[in-house]
Amino acid sequence: MDYKSGVCNFCGTGCGNFLNIKDGKVSGIYSSRNHPVSKGRLCVRGWHFHELLMSDQRISSPMIKVDGSFKKAGYEEAINFMMEKMAKYSDKAAEETAFLASPRSSNENNYLFAKLARSVFKTNNITLDSESGHRSSMNVLGDGAGFPGMTGSLEDISKTGFILVVGSDITKMNPIIGSEIHKAQMAGTKVVTISSRVTQIARLSNTHLQIKPGSKKTLLAALAKAAIAEGKADADFITGSTEGYDGFATSVNNLDLKDIFSLTGIDSDTIAKIAGELCSAKSAMAFWSTGISGLDRDTVSYIYNLLLIAGKIGRENCGANPITGICNLQGGYDMGTAPDLLTGFQKLNDPEASAKFEKSWGVKLNKDSGKDLYKMLADKNSKLKCLVVADHDEGIVRYAKEIETLEFVAYFGTFDNPFVQYADVVFPIAGIIEDEGTYTNTERRVQLSRKRVEPFENVMPGWKLFPMIAAKASLSWKYNSSEDVFREITSLTPSYSGMTYDKIEKSFGIQWPCNDKYPDGCKRLDGAAEGKKFRFAPVTGRFAVPEANADYPILLITSQGQHFWHQNNIMKKTYIPRREYNATLLVYPKGYIEICKEDAGLLQVREHWNVKIVSSHGSMIVAVKISEDVKTGTAYVPYFIREMISSFLLEHNREFDKGEDTIIPIRIERI
Amino acid sequence: MYLIEKNNVMKLAEELAKSYSLYGPVVDKDTKQVFFNKVDSASEISLTAEIPAIPPKNVVFPQIERILKYKYDKDAKKVEMAPDFDSSSKALFGIRPCDLTGIVVLDRFFMGLEFVDEVYLEHRKRMFIVSNTCTVPFKQCFCVCTDSGPSADEGYDLNLTDLGDVYLVEAGSDKGREFAEKMGLKAAGAEHTLEKKNAVDKSISLFEKIATDNKAWISRVMNRVTTGFIKEEVWEHIGKQCFECGACTFVCPTCSCFNIEDHNKFNGSTDRLRTWDSCSYEGYTKMAGDHNPRHPVEDRRNKRFFCKLSYSQSKKYLRPGCVGCGRCQWVCPGDIGLPNVVTYIRREITE
Repeated sequence: MDYKSGVCNFCGTGCGNFLNIKDGKVSGIYSSRNHPVSKGRLCVRGWHFHELLMSDQRISSPMIKVDGSFKKAGYEEAINFMMEKMAKYSDKAAEETAFLASPRSSNENNYLFAKLARSVFKTNNITLDSESGHRSSMNVLGDGAGFPGMTGSLEDISKTGFILVVGSDITKMNPIIGSEIHKAQMAGTKVVTISSRVTQIARLSNTHLQIKPGSKKTLLAALAKAAIAEGKADADFITGSTEGYDGFATSVNNLDLKDIFSLTGIDSDTIAKIAGELCSAKSAMAFWSTGISGLDRDTVSYIYNLLLIAGKIGRENCGANPITGICNLQGGYDMGTAPDLLTGFQKLNDPEASAKFEKSWGVKLNKDSGKDLYKMLADKNSKLKCLVVADHDEGIVRYAKEIETLEFVAYFGTFDNPFVQYADVVFPIAGIIEDEGTYTNTERRVQLSRKRVEPFENVMPGWKLFPMIAAKASLSWKYNSSEDVFREITSLTPSYSGMTYDKIEKSFGIQWPCNDKYPDGCKRLDGAAEGKKFRFAPVTGRFAVPEANADYPILLITSQGQHFWHQNNIMKKTYIPRREYNATLLVYPKGYIEICKEDAGLLQVREHWNVKIVSSHGSMIVAVKISEDVKTGTAYVPYFIREMISSFLLEHNREFDKGEDTIIPIRIERI
Repeated sequence: MYLIEKNNVMKLAEELAKSYSLYGPVVDKDTKQVFFNKVDSASEISLTAEIPAIPPKNVVFPQIERILKYKYDKDAKKVEMAPDFDSSSKALFGIRPCDLTGIVVLDRFFMGLEFVDEVYLEHRKRMFIVSNTCTVPFKQCFCVCTDSGPSADEGYDLNLTDLGDVYLVEAGSDKGREFAEKMGLKAAGAEHTLEKKNAVDKSISLFEKIATDNKAWISRVMNRVTTGFIKEEVWEHIGKQCFECGACTFVCPTCSCFNIEDHNKFNGSTDRLRTWDSCSYEGYTKMAGDHNPRHPVEDRRNKRFFCKLSYSQSKKYLRPGCVGCGRCQWVCPGDIGLPNVVTYIRREITE
């Protein structure tokens, strides 16, 4: 049979698929009916995954940059070149060397990449790309519930009584999760969406709370306050299963509900009604997006605390559910690609954990937490000189100027992409389905993707390439397959310790923790079984909402769409999704700004007219798109144009780092 | 009409495999999902497997196929170009009546109009088709509403019906008759015709409620769709549930829209590919200057149902565009598979 089962590699949903493999080549895809997550569905991206896998826009051989242009090299030659260059930084690696890992790499490759950084190149400056929002969510859930992952399960969406979607344009970003929420709604689950723009999930919800831009946190706090004030909070649960309630209750009490309408655009009666529905539902889940367009730690803390007040953490069909935008964002953290983490969220500064790794790896580790790469790049006084990057599959290179001035950059990757030009040495790595590998989806489901075709131009898989590099540092890494790497991971990682390739494959993946306590994995955080108290997350109690003013009367919000997903670098290698992207690009070559009819009337502009957007940091020219999806005083820009991101949005670095809550006060000028 | 003992029925497939590439329903061992796929041996085929997840249209109209190959020599400014596509002879063994009807519809699209599609013709030219009567309907089936099952009445060379210990083998073409004679099959009698009728009647009685409920409604809905009497709100209700994934068109046995793309290969040559496309995509109907006759998503959705359920379109196919397989219902992230759309429209009519 030509159809071989696999896992979709785009977003963090982790849908099952079948690839059609004919004569050793990919020639089609089909959805997987019995897969517990996708149940026969795929989104527009998933239905065209085979087109990406067919792409010949690949890195075909190691390359060394000589006088500004690349020449092909053998593996030995390229590795020797890299070792020689990087030797310079070995004494001060903690200051001068950093690694940028990828949420698209498999667990095995991420693990080896981190091992390479820590044991061969002696640096803990390891950053997982596109990461900020997910780490905040992991920290809130890890510190509060002792569970650094989605506490619920995607399979339980259909069984939950109440769903709160915070901000996320989920039917575009993770469509199959959006579908599951929609189907639950059709079957009777109450769905409430909080967002400033009318998204598809907002249209499909029972209630859409169309808030003023930047007031999510305020509204969440108001919901918590209303639940307490109306006596709807789950008092038994709060007393019996949580700690730290008083501090949080005092903090939300400071919020004056009289002002709430002017702050958020939502009246207090509606807030009381929704808070009541959440608390009285038998079970409830909250969803929010993480990753580059995710929420900040404070907002996530309010979501988590609200669920605690409602008694909806650690119970059946409940969940605090951060949704990852990229296939292995969760797995990246699980593999310890962070300055302060080893695998499975073990802390680098935990002597017992680090001793275990030292023994296994045969090296002494530096236990001091490393630094975040992006902070190093932003810091004018940083001593960073050398950067090693894996699979940077985004179209835009952030801090491009700073990276250009580094002394040495090495790149490991599968597809040809914009980062390659910044590198001094480039290594190809066999891609998904050219090598075995596991990927951990947003609900902690570790899934196995088997090798189905031979690697493009015989490029090497990670388990062969990384040990060649380690060997130059006289370390002997003995692997004969990715499975060997996985065995090492499970031996060092309590939450993965019960997993094997065979076991994962037989059950469409296993959700961690999988160990002696949970031999078949763990569908959801079970408060009763854990027997621990959940801690309320500390919050700032600051509710500043960005204000428009006379100079900049409109608040600009940003997001990404389905076809121009993750800055297009990957979508551009397909046919149909690229066509869809191009269809928008042809009409809006400079991008567009959505404003409502009333604002267009005031500004005296019409559909397709070019206008100048001015903020305190800069300006750009875009076309007008008149839309019913935004309210007066709000404008929306989907960021899919390279120049738009690199020359306007990135100038607002501080705001842009806030991900989904990026809000830029602007004025729109006719030109 | 002929008979063959159940334990010998696969001999037909084995014989066909000698002169054709053999295709049939295959069950994936690990996931139990059924595919209609090329097999190396007749023993891989299951005649009792449920309706395959992927429609056999994939054999005559693959998801991606090369139709042309070219190489451009920059220095000499010359191009070498040659049509290059699959021209093997194929036998489809055990195709279900709905899927066979799908191929009949595709024939009318690709070969029945002024322009005959060469690539499609090549797939179909020497094809041998053995269909398989559904003596039990599957969960999502509603072919009784669309006149495409549970028993096939055209398009096959041989049609099999499970009568317990034996299969009734009906020949639908001279090619089929010759093959049956060559295999030395026993002749069937009038009692077997009656047995088949009873088997089909029993099958019809077993359909799920949504199929039997909708039976009389499909034609009413066709009337409504054709005359345009359906309220905007109904299309909007349908449109807002569309996730624009394209799945309904990919899994549909009769959807024939395609796109042409050039795949530039690492070795310098180029494959011209034909790929499946979908009317649910905005880019599919977009024209220069941002003109799009079907811009809002509900217009695109409504186009799909126009294609499946309107008289004008049916005149081209000589039947409705829907064959009642129910696949669009399984794969839809919204809740707008065709049977549900019929239900929504029906609800509007009755209200």
